[in-house]
Amino acid sequence: MQRKKTYVFSEIEDYRELLEIKHLRTKNNFVLSIISLMMVISVLYMFLAEFPLKQTITILVGFLLVISSNIVELAYGREDSHFYKLNIYITTLGIFSLTIGMIFLFQSPSTITALFIAYAISAFYQDLKVLILSNLLLLFTVIMIMLHFPEFLDFQNATLENQFGVAFFFLSFITILTISSYIIVKQKRFFYNQIALSKETEFRNIDLLIDLRKQVMGETLNIEEYYKKTASFIDAFCIKIETENVFKEKLKILEALEKKTPVSVLIEQFPNYSKEDFFRLEALLISNHFKLRKVAIKISHILDLDIKKREIFSETHFKSFNHQSDNFEIKIIGFVLFYAALKKGSTAMPGLSEDKIYDILINTDYYYYIDPRIIKVYKDNSEVFDEIVKDAFGKKAN
Amino acid sequence: MKDFFKRVFNTEFLPASEVRKIKVMLVMAFLLVITAVTIPFSIFLDYTLAVKITVIVVLFIVYGIIILLIKINKILPAIQITMLYSIGLTLFYTQGTSSFYAYLFFYISLTIIIFYQELYSYLVYGTILVVLGVFYTITHQDGLILLFDVSGSIYIYIVILVLFYIIFFIQILYTEKLYTDLNFEWVKMNKIIDKYQDDILYYLDEIRKEAKEVPLYEDTDFQKAADELSVFISEQFNENGKEITNVLDLYIYIHEKGLTKILENEEISVSMKKIANRLDKYLLNQRTEMFSMIINFYSKFRESEEYRDNRYDYSLNNLTKETDEQIIAMAMIYQYLSNEITGMDEWDQMKKVFSKEEIDALFSSSEIVDFFTPGQIGFFKDNYDLFIQYLSKKE
Repeated sequence: MQRKKTYVFSEIEDYRELLEIKHLRTKNNFVLSIISLMMVISVLYMFLAEFPLKQTITILVGFLLVISSNIVELAYGREDSHFYKLNIYITTLGIFSLTIGMIFLFQSPSTITALFIAYAISAFYQDLKVLILSNLLLLFTVIMIMLHFPEFLDFQNATLENQFGVAFFFLSFITILTISSYIIVKQKRFFYNQIALSKETEFRNIDLLIDLRKQVMGETLNIEEYYKKTASFIDAFCIKIETENVFKEKLKILEALEKKTPVSVLIEQFPNYSKEDFFRLEALLISNHFKLRKVAIKISHILDLDIKKREIFSETHFKSFNHQSDNFEIKIIGFVLFYAALKKGSTAMPGLSEDKIYDILINTDYYYYIDPRIIKVYKDNSEVFDEIVKDAFGKKAN
Repeated sequence: MKDFFKRVFNTEFLPASEVRKIKVMLVMAFLLVITAVTIPFSIFLDYTLAVKITVIVVLFIVYGIIILLIKINKILPAIQITMLYSIGLTLFYTQGTSSFYAYLFFYISLTIIIFYQELYSYLVYGTILVVLGVFYTITHQDGLILLFDVSGSIYIYIVILVLFYIIFFIQILYTEKLYTDLNFEWVKMNKIIDKYQDDILYYLDEIRKEAKEVPLYEDTDFQKAADELSVFISEQFNENGKEITNVLDLYIYIHEKGLTKILENEEISVSMKKIANRLDKYLLNQRTEMFSMIINFYSKFRESEEYRDNRYDYSLNNLTKETDEQIIAMAMIYQYLSNEITGMDEWDQMKKVFSKEEIDALFSSSEIVDFFTPGQIGFFKDNYDLFIQYLSKKE
């Protein structure tokens, strides 16, 4: 069975979600403004067109309900981001319900086009589930009107051609709107994915860097010296601000953690500290792969970052073996060198087995880094690829 | 076809240029259906037969031009023409009938333009369409309203069309800003990763030298495997394997001679130089795209700590909220920066240690806010003398 393509690092899913939620609040604010504007226009029109006051108030209350639910959910969203998600579904349902209500109230073809506004508002969220929901609502409403309420479209120049035209072009519009929204949602995901992917790549590259450095240079960090100097610095600082040295205990704990003293032992020695405290303090260790060291490594690599404006809009940072400017031969060469290098490996990074390579190349984003024709050849002939390499490497191949 | 649909459903994995191509092809498919339907529909439009035939012929010619542009990979002009094509179709329908379905064409064309998410195109073509739409609504009222319609329904048509345009204008504007910000962050991240990988390349090379191994590109087993694999793939497309072997030879040669010397060599043909230039990103003796992709692939199989919410958080303020711990952490970071080797020096040796001035520059850079709060940076500045006296490397 065809497996769904995923990203090579599964860790990025949560971060991508986080990025989506981060931008959802701004989108919610935009939508809230548009709905408020719609409310003003609708009520003003109904008032000027002398609709019965009861109907005008009904529509006004409908809008106010959608707006207030938005405000409440946005407020709760600060505490729990799931409310932002809930808000987009409720708003979509609310705005479509209001529009359908107005269609039945006005019974005019002009109001039917308000469905497009409802769709446009929900499209603002650029969310796949909202997209499905609004498509279903739009399609359902249009079919319902055409089949059960044709009088809403009973034009003065009604002909068979007109009826067919309305049905056909309504469906055409919904089709192109759906395709458009779908691709736009996917396109947005690309950027979130790439950022999340680069964060994970960075995380793993720093880990690799620490290990390789240790392998080449040995462990060069003089931890004792670090703590000695920090203690002197803290003493001098406390003298400067004329206060008691309250840092001593924390420094002792950190030093003990650096020496791999078990937390169970530390809890006995320092009863005022909880497990969470020790867990938090562990991130502040400067040795091995602890977070503070990674912070220091990252800071040491940020100097002289030169980002040109044209780079932001070019695709040179998208690494692949499928660049549009490359001819087919170069695409083949790129892929086979990559594949053979993974197989061959080196002292520091041993060659990878066929299973591992196949799994990543076929089932993750790597699939799209390679020309579709070439990856198809590999997919259909992975055993042949493996045999060719084994033959070339002799017994050394994985 | 199956592959194309697979790509459509997995657009999130593709870069903008690929997505643009998919978009234009989808619009083409859509326009083909609409154009095909236009042939029978044109019977009902108020044009002379000659006009109808001319317009339909022109539509097919333009359609052919779009196909040609896609074939030769001129996607941007193809996009512009599809937009003009849809406007042309809209005009053909709206000038030929006063029916409600012709009015729907304004929305269809607007959606096609929205699909491309290009601000300036939307501003130009979208505005033209909205103006035409308003004009059409005013001049063809009898085809749009019912016998007993609500009062002012024509204004409802106009307001909804304008609102539709405005909502998507705001959406495109917002998306453009969002994509610019995301792209900037992505490029910044990639630049930092490149710097890590410069160091990784150095260490890997040191380990290789220590193990007395030849570089990968000089390894005959590796060369043989790459050669046979490339010939095998070429043969699947009934192509002569000799040509690709020549490209592979050139690739190995670039490692020996260096790209600059090859480009300066007058005996090498222009086409070979072009190929050499494109192969440059796949070299194995530099931190190239190839090197980066190999490292990233490998890192998948290295053990990594379990995912936590703060995995990608490098801000000191998020590591700990305790002020005393933040001060200790700052002291540690300063020592690391002033004592440890942090990269390659001007002689490409892994011996670079930051000078006091460089650390000052780091703390004054715009990127430092990703790590420290303004309060923490203020603490560093207020106690700068103590940092220097107690934590910096003794000369």
